[in-house]
Amino acid sequence: MTPSTPVSPATVLRLDRLSRRRAGRPAVRNLSLALQSGQVLGLLGVNGAGKSTTLSMIAGALRPDSGSIQLNGEDFLEHPGLARQRIGWLPERAPLWAELTVSEHLDAHGRLRGLHGPALRLARNAIIERLDLQPLARRLAGVLSQGQRQRLGLACALLHRPALLVLDEPANALDPVQTAALRTLIREQATTGTAVILSTHLLTEVTAVCDRVAILHEGTLRHDGPAHADDHAALERCFFGIAMNNSPAQAA
Amino acid sequence: MSVLAVMRLELRRLFVRPLAWALAAFTLAELGWRFVLLLGNFLDVQIRLAALPGGPGYTDLVSVPLLSSLLTGGFLPFGLTELAIFAVPLLAMSTLAAERGNGTLPLLFGSGLSAASIVLGKYLALMTWLLLWLALTLAMPLALAHATHFDWGKLAAAVLGMLLLLAMLGSIGIACSAFTPHPALAAVAGIMLVLALCSIQLGAQSVGIDNGVINWLALPTHLEPLLRGLVSTADIVWFVLLTALALALAVRRLDADKERG
Repeated sequence: MTPSTPVSPATVLRLDRLSRRRAGRPAVRNLSLALQSGQVLGLLGVNGAGKSTTLSMIAGALRPDSGSIQLNGEDFLEHPGLARQRIGWLPERAPLWAELTVSEHLDAHGRLRGLHGPALRLARNAIIERLDLQPLARRLAGVLSQGQRQRLGLACALLHRPALLVLDEPANALDPVQTAALRTLIREQATTGTAVILSTHLLTEVTAVCDRVAILHEGTLRHDGPAHADDHAALERCFFGIAMNNSPAQAA
Repeated sequence: MSVLAVMRLELRRLFVRPLAWALAAFTLAELGWRFVLLLGNFLDVQIRLAALPGGPGYTDLVSVPLLSSLLTGGFLPFGLTELAIFAVPLLAMSTLAAERGNGTLPLLFGSGLSAASIVLGKYLALMTWLLLWLALTLAMPLALAHATHFDWGKLAAAVLGMLLLLAMLGSIGIACSAFTPHPALAAVAGIMLVLALCSIQLGAQSVGIDNGVINWLALPTHLEPLLRGLVSTADIVWFVLLTALALALAVRRLDADKERG
């Protein structure tokens, strides 16, 4: 992938030589990748590999030191307002405003994303129903369990029907039934054309829902290739090979 | 629109916090007590004052002193100014510090909002609360408007002074909140800063220094004339400058947060 590659209309996200230092060390180095609409990319890596930093930059919460991010062909760094309608982001541990109810959270997120009036009500009711949040709608976010918080965070990320969904460890604290529901939801989003980036520690998550897998190690992209549901062992070999530093780098 | 969305979110959070209600209840009760005492004193001397041509009236002895002890001094309970010095930093302490502490600040950045929109939205929400507070305070003397003679010009100047003061205190509170993840620290810093502004000239005067710069820096130098009914551009500019400076610092700090991560 080079900067001169033309952007196809279906390319939702393009990262070009993205770099970022954190706490005095390079957290992400020269990261380049592209994501098409309807594609689900699994982002793997050990702790500190640079996954969350990468996702924060894609979501617009963190400015890269260098490189560029394009959303549907538009420079995201020049127009950070693009994040408002086009990106849905679930950060790690789903940060919430403890004093707001589930319903108020969705309203607040909707307004922050530019939804108002009947459109906001429709979107809120639809996502509450889709994620089975009705019993929690009037409950304060501060008293939710971690699994419920994750579901609310996911609802906030999906509320405005983003073109790109960025999920940072979404299966954390979910029970097996909720994890299965999450996988269905991710596939459902991909079917409607949403591009999804899923950061996870769980290799099974990647083989279960992702079309592609990218492995980050020490801030660099070491592997980018298709994810095969029937070849979990190969992915495991590749991941551990990179994580243990006994495999040559395989930049895509 | 994004500023309004932040403002609405912050207002909602402000109105469900027990601290905001507790502060409102305590301060309004205290101001009610002050109002009754001021009114009692006024009624005691009303007949004698009526005989004085151009003597002080209801506005001078009740309405304006309710807003501040600067002109009255004495042993009465605090006026709105003195309460605001403590209440506003307490109200503002969570606006940005708690966002940083809870990890919700990146959510706002991730919504495509600029640091200026976030700060402005939160500031406007805080100001809405403070304006309601001021309106409820003013309702006390205004409740007797039909039965007494008001000096509307003097009251308007005093209200302008209070508006400028609350705007400045709110911005200082938000700036302090932007610089720390601990709300309590933000409140203490805000109170200390405002107390320093209130008393900066006293220390200098006690050692014989009484120059223009030190006096210019002090809050009472600019608030007192407004409470006396004297509106001057220089005083208004002082309040506007400090308010703008504090908000600019808060914006700059949030921008640095986004930069640093």
